[in-house]
Amino acid sequence: MPDSVKSPLNIDFCGMPFNTPIVLLSGCVGFGEEYTRVKGFSNRETGAVCLKGTTQEPRLGNQPHRIYETPSGMLNAIGLQNPGVDKVVDEILPTLDFTETHFIANVSGSTVEEYYEVTRRFDDSPIDAIEINISCPNVKEGGVAFGNDPAMSARVVEACRQATRKPLITKLSPNQTDIAGNAQGCIEAGSDAFSVINTLMGMAIDIESRVPIIGNNQGGLSGPAIKPVALLKVHQVYQVCRDHNIPIIGQGGITSAEDALEFMIAGAHAVGVGTALFYDPLICQKINAGIRDYLTRHQLASVEHLVGTLQLHQQTRPKCSC
Amino acid sequence: MNKSHRDSIFLEEAEILSHQGFAGEQFILRVQAPQCAHTALPGSFVHLQCDPLQPMRRPISIMRTSDSEGWIELLYKRVGSGTQLLSLRKPGETLNLLGPIGQSFKPSAEHTHPLLIGGGVGMPPMIFLADCLRSDRLKQPFVILGSEVPFPFSASPSKIMVPGMPEGVIASMPLLDDWGIPCRLASQQDLPGCYQGYVTDLARLWLVAMEKALRQQVEIFACGPHPMLQAVAQLAAEFDIACQVSLEEFMACAVGGCAGCVVEVSTPQGPVMKRVCVDGPVFDARQVF
Repeated sequence: MPDSVKSPLNIDFCGMPFNTPIVLLSGCVGFGEEYTRVKGFSNRETGAVCLKGTTQEPRLGNQPHRIYETPSGMLNAIGLQNPGVDKVVDEILPTLDFTETHFIANVSGSTVEEYYEVTRRFDDSPIDAIEINISCPNVKEGGVAFGNDPAMSARVVEACRQATRKPLITKLSPNQTDIAGNAQGCIEAGSDAFSVINTLMGMAIDIESRVPIIGNNQGGLSGPAIKPVALLKVHQVYQVCRDHNIPIIGQGGITSAEDALEFMIAGAHAVGVGTALFYDPLICQKINAGIRDYLTRHQLASVEHLVGTLQLHQQTRPKCSC
Repeated sequence: MNKSHRDSIFLEEAEILSHQGFAGEQFILRVQAPQCAHTALPGSFVHLQCDPLQPMRRPISIMRTSDSEGWIELLYKRVGSGTQLLSLRKPGETLNLLGPIGQSFKPSAEHTHPLLIGGGVGMPPMIFLADCLRSDRLKQPFVILGSEVPFPFSASPSKIMVPGMPEGVIASMPLLDDWGIPCRLASQQDLPGCYQGYVTDLARLWLVAMEKALRQQVEIFACGPHPMLQAVAQLAAEFDIACQVSLEEFMACAVGGCAGCVVEVSTPQGPVMKRVCVDGPVFDARQVF
């Protein structure tokens, strides 16, 4: 634990003492050191950093263009470019400073066996926790193809559970019909926590050439555009997690302390920051300061007291979402 | 643990000192960014928030810097919503600027005749490189700038002779002339004093006019549109000349975190994807074309 003094921002996440509720999201911060290039940035501002999605063998990833700005967000289709788990464990993890924050591996694969093998490899490493990526929208096999099928999701989680005793966090896709039902199956299969949500599938088209702008044809939409969707999904998954004491990393379009607070009120213990870093590399300091101010203003001793405090309007008439 | 990469990029609220528009949707922007100015090198770029209304940043090459006065100068073209908003920003306002970013051009010690080729908004790194080379007495650079819209400066007849130039090709960028660096301009448009054709055609004339021994002293540096860079790389390969090119790609983080801006690079171990932001933007032309 980097900071022994208890701060209102400290949280416990699956037994890991987080400095702050902020988790830097997989795919946005490389293998943990990239943003430290920016003067003033520190991993100490976070509770954890999720490393880039890792597979058993190295992957080149998708052809350019891989990203494209859209209204209030962006599309990306990186395609899990990574050097393979052996290189990550043997060469990259030893360069990380584990006194600054917690590091979470992000595991991907094309088969259940690959998920198992990559998780097993990380189990035998200093990594603090493992996030199972069954929601990547940008690869042909595995990823969201597993995450949108509740039975497959549970099989992947079960296999990973057999490979490690480290905290297992399942990253859920918003591109599915019943996210809460899927979460229930993943809990039964051994998931300790959830990341809610991954990106929404989307597309952009060059009208002159009539081809998709993204090399992969489609990509994952992130940024403020998806925040309301993410918030509802966190609320829905929390209904399942609450009774099992399973924490959630709420994520999707968080760019301010106010956004982060909304996610925690909806049921997230921790909050993920990704696209907002592209806007402002020093955003974590501002989010932490804003949360601290809110806690003072509301006379709350810990940010954990906020989690799941949403008070829904009582519905007197039959429910209708339209 | 080697952490030498840390704290090498600065986030600054950069005051706009001047902002001048030119024909062809071009703008030259000078901002106060002392930390960036202090460490920027030719090929470095900044990742600029054009306007708070559009938080995604835009990568823009650095054209000139003044370490003593703490400013940097950028040239950009208004092409989309971000640069449209940027073009409306006025002196006295501030821009959120991340920089300097990227691997710079690296002239080798053994080549005495650097050939700098810049096209369109690819001109800035060449001007920055020329500025740095002028203090090196062993280097005799030649700069070719190309544009399909009027140049964002008043071209004037050069006072410096350049062998191999066709008759009438006398226009130069006055700043380079003042620095004592020979320069010629090329355009498909019929611009006075300019070579009517591609920058690579003019470069070829210059190379052909050289003695073979001298040609072996040439090293090419280029920045510009992708087809131009491709043609420069072919020219360099034809004459067996070392060549470094600066690439561009859509960028999100610009610090190496997202791998969104990659280019496929050939290596002895096979193709790899390199990030244009921190592994580039400058690459060996043979590896990317």
